[in-house]
Amino acid sequence: MNLLDSLKAILTIAYKEFVHVWRDRRVLLLILVLPPFFTLVFGHAFEGAAVRDVSTMFLDADNSTESRKFADFLHGKNVLDALVEGSDNPDKVRKDINDLLQNLKDTFAWKKWVGPEKGPIDLVQDGVDAAVVIPQGWGKSLQNGTPINMRAVLDGSDTNTAPAVQALLQQALGIFQLNERYELIKNLPEQVVDLGEQLSPQTQHEFSSSLTPWEFDTEMLYNPKLLFVDYVVPGMVGLILQLVTVTLIASTITREREVGTLSQLLVTPLRQGEIVVGKVLPYLFISMFLIAGTIAIGHIHFGIKIHQPLLLSLVCFLFLLCSLGLGLLISAFSKTQTQAIQFSVFLLLPIILLSGAFAPLSQLPGSIRIFSELFPLTHFCRAFRSVNMYRADFGFIAADLIALAVGAVITCIGAAYLLRTADD
Amino acid sequence: MPKPLIVLTDLAKKFGHKSAVDKISMSIGQGEVFGFLGANGAGKTTTIRMLCGLTKPTAGRASIDGLDVWRDRFRIRSKFGYVSQRFSLYGDLTVRENLRFFAGAYRQTHINDRVDRMVKEMDLEPYRDSRAGKLSGGYRQLLSMACALIHEPALLFLDEPTAGLDPVHRQQIWDFLYQVTQSGTTIFVTTHYMDEAERCTDVGFVQHGRLVAKGSPRQLKQALGGDLLEVHVEPAMPAVLELRKVPGISGVDLRSGRLRIHAADPQALVDQWQQYWPFPGLKFLGYSWVEPDMEDVFNAYAQGRHSQNQVQAALK
Repeated sequence: MNLLDSLKAILTIAYKEFVHVWRDRRVLLLILVLPPFFTLVFGHAFEGAAVRDVSTMFLDADNSTESRKFADFLHGKNVLDALVEGSDNPDKVRKDINDLLQNLKDTFAWKKWVGPEKGPIDLVQDGVDAAVVIPQGWGKSLQNGTPINMRAVLDGSDTNTAPAVQALLQQALGIFQLNERYELIKNLPEQVVDLGEQLSPQTQHEFSSSLTPWEFDTEMLYNPKLLFVDYVVPGMVGLILQLVTVTLIASTITREREVGTLSQLLVTPLRQGEIVVGKVLPYLFISMFLIAGTIAIGHIHFGIKIHQPLLLSLVCFLFLLCSLGLGLLISAFSKTQTQAIQFSVFLLLPIILLSGAFAPLSQLPGSIRIFSELFPLTHFCRAFRSVNMYRADFGFIAADLIALAVGAVITCIGAAYLLRTADD
Repeated sequence: MPKPLIVLTDLAKKFGHKSAVDKISMSIGQGEVFGFLGANGAGKTTTIRMLCGLTKPTAGRASIDGLDVWRDRFRIRSKFGYVSQRFSLYGDLTVRENLRFFAGAYRQTHINDRVDRMVKEMDLEPYRDSRAGKLSGGYRQLLSMACALIHEPALLFLDEPTAGLDPVHRQQIWDFLYQVTQSGTTIFVTTHYMDEAERCTDVGFVQHGRLVAKGSPRQLKQALGGDLLEVHVEPAMPAVLELRKVPGISGVDLRSGRLRIHAADPQALVDQWQQYWPFPGLKFLGYSWVEPDMEDVFNAYAQGRHSQNQVQAALK
């Protein structure tokens, strides 16, 4: 039977290709050791996306009672007794304050002031990442009813840290101010309290509301603990597999072209399609193993939860097939192995940067995102995250799956077409 | 002439503006051992690659067993074997693995029996589990031939199968080719060695992409026009240079220490030299008449002293 013959022919090639990889011990070691190793290293590298230990120098130029109290607060000492006492729900307030204090301690690594007391501050020259100054006369200005502003100097080039530090400082100052307000009320003369009780209950309630911090009750969907590692590991696994598949298979046809076996192959009755499928199969097998291994590391080591493993397997399968097709197309197109590797590198560079493996694709401008859609890794990252983080179902990621499947078919057909002659 | 198996009709291949094969027309009969001779770059390999369907002819056509070499290339492929110029097997596969791979690629059945038989026939038994890349040149070539013959084709293309081999392996390969022809297999072989050309039943000379002569070795030698003058002069090397300047001599080749003279009227030269030897620095030690061999034929064509027209005229 014709189909059976074809299948036999494909297996003949697949076996041969597998032996090539198996006997090339150095490459074998590389592909078996590096992907898991990279997963561990990159995982840990991007795990701590939270801002930690920002080296910050601090100057209390005021040295008043108020400034010293705020300085103590910033340095992690609980000075907000009035807030706790005055609250209707002291346990919750105490817990919130403790969280904030912990956050302050984690975020800042306080340094001695080495900069000038006045004028511009050069963070780099002073060897710190941030500077916080309580200006002279701050305490007095609060009493005068004309509060002057605190001063913070941040490194705007670090787009991750600077906004986080700014927000934390503002939050700390806000809570501190609220505490001062409670303290003020506590110390109000009796007459004012008596006077207050004459107000209508409505006004009294509104007054009381204004003294309670108004908060958002924020719900974090999809990645509740805001663990960056949950977001980044699929991107990382995809990126590693993208690199491994493309570079591995890119040299298979060109190697045969260089050694001369391609001519020998093309004078046999093997059809181009059989050659392409036979070459892709063993690499598909190997890379399915690798992707399973690296995801397992993500699961075991980084505690990433796996949802809908079957659907994820389909995503991985189509992604690998499409990547291998891409590599094979490069291989059929290149004249030498060197060329094939060069093409791969130049193709992988935009894939790394524009596929959304490490940062959400929505941060890219629309015109660039059109390019992103051309890369298998883009579809893989989106589909994988959709399924694993957003619990999307098959229908939701169908577009990405179709894109990957179409990519696989087009690249494989392209590679087969280029094999029609052995012309150099 | 046996029934033609390969027929070339104005077959041509251009790479850009450069003509690699220039309108070659010829036919090769079934069961022949056809030697395709020519200098490096004359177009031998390109012709073979076109016949094997590896590269598309620019113009003209060629057929094997009535099937067009390009249009019907998928149908012809099981009919012939091809041993390319370079060692083109998988160096990281063993001898038997290579054979098994090609047996599978040619969709053969009973692969193991076939491979074992081929290993035995080719004297590859001691190396059957060695990596092909570790074999010496001669055994590599034997293995290449074994891989090309694994499907028992009726036609075998060999592109310089003995290039760079020692005389023992060359002998071994030609002995094997002879065996192959015994079962009626047609052979199309290119070579640089003229002693090998003698073993062919039919020979074609190609020069700058053009076929300049074709015929049996005997016919081609006859076409040179009788015996050649061979003179014994010492020292030989300066003698070659001096004699080439003599008017009436169209070529001088050094062979086994003697000088073969190609001239329109060699008898007159000998008569003249016996009376007066014009080169005081050289010693004339005698002369003889020898039958031309294929090397003389090759040199004659390579140096442009003969053309197809002359040969055809002589053959008539």
